[in-house]
Amino acid sequence: MAVDITLLFKASVKTVKTRNKAIGVGFDSSKDEILRKSRPKNGFSCRAREVISNITKLKDFLLQHRKDYVSADSLISSDLTRMTDSERDQIDQDAQIFMRTCSDAIRQLRSEAEKQVSSSQVKEHRGAVLDLIEDYLRGVCKLYSEQRAVRVKRVVDRKRLSVSLWEEGRVEDELSPEEIQMFEQENQRLVSEMSSLVDEVRQIEGKVVEISRLQEIFAEKVLQQETEIDNIHQLVVGATENVKEGNEDIREAIKNNAGFRVWILFFLVMCSFSLLFLDWYDS
Amino acid sequence: MAASIREKQTAALKRMLNFNVPPLKNTAAEPVWKVLIYDRFGQDIISPLLAVKELRDMGITLHLLLHSDRDPIPDVPAIYFVMPTEENVDRICQDLRNQLYESYYLNFISAISRSKLEDVASAALAANAVNQVTKVFDQYLNFITLEDDMFVLCNQNTELISYHAINRPDIMDTDMEAIMDTIVDSLFCFFVTLGAVPIIRCPRGNAAEMVAMKLDKKLRENLRDARNSLFTGDTVGAGQFSFQRPLFVLVDRNLDLATPLHHTWTYQALIHDVLDFHLNRVTIEESVGPETGARPKKKNKKNYDLTAADKFWQKHKGSPFPEVAESVQQELDTYRAQEDEVKRLKSIMGLEGEDEGAISMLSDNTAKLTSAVSSLPELLEKKRLIDLHTNVATAVLDHIKTRKLDVYFEYEEKLMSKSTLDKSLLDMISDPDAGTPEDKMRLFLIYYITSQQPPSELDLEQYKKALMDAGCDLSPLNYIKQWKAFTKMAAAPANYGNSGVKPMGLFSMVMNTGSHFVMEGVKNLVLKQHNLPVTRILDNLMEMKSNLETDDYRYFDPKMLRGSESSIPRNKNPFQEAIVFVVGGGNYIEYQNLVDYTKAKQGKRVLYGCSELFNAAQFMKQLSQLGKK
Repeated sequence: MAVDITLLFKASVKTVKTRNKAIGVGFDSSKDEILRKSRPKNGFSCRAREVISNITKLKDFLLQHRKDYVSADSLISSDLTRMTDSERDQIDQDAQIFMRTCSDAIRQLRSEAEKQVSSSQVKEHRGAVLDLIEDYLRGVCKLYSEQRAVRVKRVVDRKRLSVSLWEEGRVEDELSPEEIQMFEQENQRLVSEMSSLVDEVRQIEGKVVEISRLQEIFAEKVLQQETEIDNIHQLVVGATENVKEGNEDIREAIKNNAGFRVWILFFLVMCSFSLLFLDWYDS
Repeated sequence: MAASIREKQTAALKRMLNFNVPPLKNTAAEPVWKVLIYDRFGQDIISPLLAVKELRDMGITLHLLLHSDRDPIPDVPAIYFVMPTEENVDRICQDLRNQLYESYYLNFISAISRSKLEDVASAALAANAVNQVTKVFDQYLNFITLEDDMFVLCNQNTELISYHAINRPDIMDTDMEAIMDTIVDSLFCFFVTLGAVPIIRCPRGNAAEMVAMKLDKKLRENLRDARNSLFTGDTVGAGQFSFQRPLFVLVDRNLDLATPLHHTWTYQALIHDVLDFHLNRVTIEESVGPETGARPKKKNKKNYDLTAADKFWQKHKGSPFPEVAESVQQELDTYRAQEDEVKRLKSIMGLEGEDEGAISMLSDNTAKLTSAVSSLPELLEKKRLIDLHTNVATAVLDHIKTRKLDVYFEYEEKLMSKSTLDKSLLDMISDPDAGTPEDKMRLFLIYYITSQQPPSELDLEQYKKALMDAGCDLSPLNYIKQWKAFTKMAAAPANYGNSGVKPMGLFSMVMNTGSHFVMEGVKNLVLKQHNLPVTRILDNLMEMKSNLETDDYRYFDPKMLRGSESSIPRNKNPFQEAIVFVVGGGNYIEYQNLVDYTKAKQGKRVLYGCSELFNAAQFMKQLSQLGKK
């Protein structure tokens, strides 16, 4: 269990102050207020804090309207707080635009932080701060996508309900009994076909939502691998360049070697011919 | 004591890292970033408990050593976690003068003295930074928790409070006082974090008694001061339903010198004995690259962390080694089966695009795909752990095979239980390919310690000659002779209880051919339960049994008003919780023995602590230093 000795510390400060006054060593305490560095208006941490406050605003907004958003709408529409679909779409759109602006702001901050010249510790610190903000944004986005998934599910369920209602509300025409029977049979067949189709469509819709979630995960992983693949690409390009240059150098060397050899041979042949000539000349 | 000491210390650390405000459960809270500055003591305390990822999750962007070069990072609060020593305080004052950070939260690992606090205050005044020093705390966390129920006092500067330092003949009173003060300070911090005032029992006439008296005095003083007492209020009441106080047993290393030298057979103790194992981190040298004639093998050092989250480790750290090898193999098989299932899913996915009627299969497959994708991170983590344990166990197995540690283990168990030996000691020592000289020395020392009467002069000369031929250093023997003479005067030598070691026979290939662990020629030894001296003493004291050894132990109760010792009413009921502390050093063999003892008894909890943790090699070094004096 930790003990808070801040008060003890402040008391020590007072003691030291009085002691200093007694000795005669004084520190001008009024100076420090003026000399306090005024924080730069557009400093890194100011802007980072702005981004965080924006994300918090989004989170509060989503949480506030969450109840209305996901409220199960009954067919008897008399509830005042119920949202229309258009309002929900509006919320979706606004939220998405907001999230995009936030992630753009984070990216901008990151590139600026890298360009700025500062010590490695400060760079590491800023990188970690931006990672924290990104994680926060991701958490808030998850809130939003959960809400949305619930809404989609409800829409799908509602369609199912409306199909069964539609089945019941059929109007009867005035036709001859045979035709009526035929029409009825035809109707039955159509209805069963439609309902099986609707079943399949419902299933597929549900699965599509799952697939979209999976795709999100895959996309994330693919993006992570993209940077690595870029690195590898750079390395491979560099390697091919080096190998090409190497080949050129080897070709040059072979040529030089060959040329050198030709000259040596020529020189030796000339020497031997000159020897023969001198020998013939002498004899 | 419902929460283990590890959880309590971790909770205290997390609270400190949250600016000393209890952390909220709200997961989607705004991130607040901070910088953590620690000294080496702080680093040792934090590293077994919190991984770097957890620090990041708590908002710590940078963690730096106090005495490194640090650049100014404006607009960031800094949390300091340091010991209140002279040089640390100077460095903090320097930081305040250089205006490195925006605000300072100072947390001292143990209580800071008034004069040093005034130094910090004057530096803050000089730098006009008094308002920046937002909070100052005494954390009382001056001990290192390694397991749920095991703690060590320190990892830095262990030679100051080592066995050697306490038992050397030329020790002065002032040195002894300083050592005792350090130990008592850490134990006091331990009890503050635990939130309980124990009943202290200790033997008479050695270092443990001195520690017990000082600790009793310190606890008593703190309890007297009702206003500032650390044991009242919410720490004690929170979640504590036991009305009984824990028992604190202090023993001295001199009680039992054979156990630290003993060769061992359980996984955690083997790793500590054979490999480089500190603060739950194993360092293994692996050679990389093919062995060509001219080029030397490159040695890579790899570090592995053995943490509480590693389920395999938690289950098997006390199991005998062959069991561990088998379990690793089993885990590998289950992992491969799961991997194959995931791969099969891929092939099903492949043919789904061609078959129209597979829409009905679609529902199954998407569900399977979702579950497979969500289980992938788990599978990857499992693979990593299996690889880790395979590497560690292979390294241990190599050592066992080259040094024939199983033979030593069996022989020593027989020595300690005084059963019949099938091979004479001289044969064991002169055997050239079994064990390093250190192993032989250990064996001989155990023989010397556990024999009822010392061997005759002639035998001794023979043994000494054999040992010297094998290349051993004989100075520990001098010290052990002195120790034996001393303890003979005091009490009967420790009885190691009836243990038996049943070898399950030699078998050439334990596993099938697919296994990595071919335990050829290594005996599969089964440990029978037996109690080491420390465990026996604990058993006597906890169950209030009457026994010659423990009746003479002193009894301290810090909560009672001081009276004469015999008139203090003693607790008559058996204790449910106990803490064993060995002054002078401890090791994993004793810890494992206590864990086994606790498992056998229902509803009892035992914590194990020691002033330092050493393995047999380090202990031998200390003994030889003592023997040379």
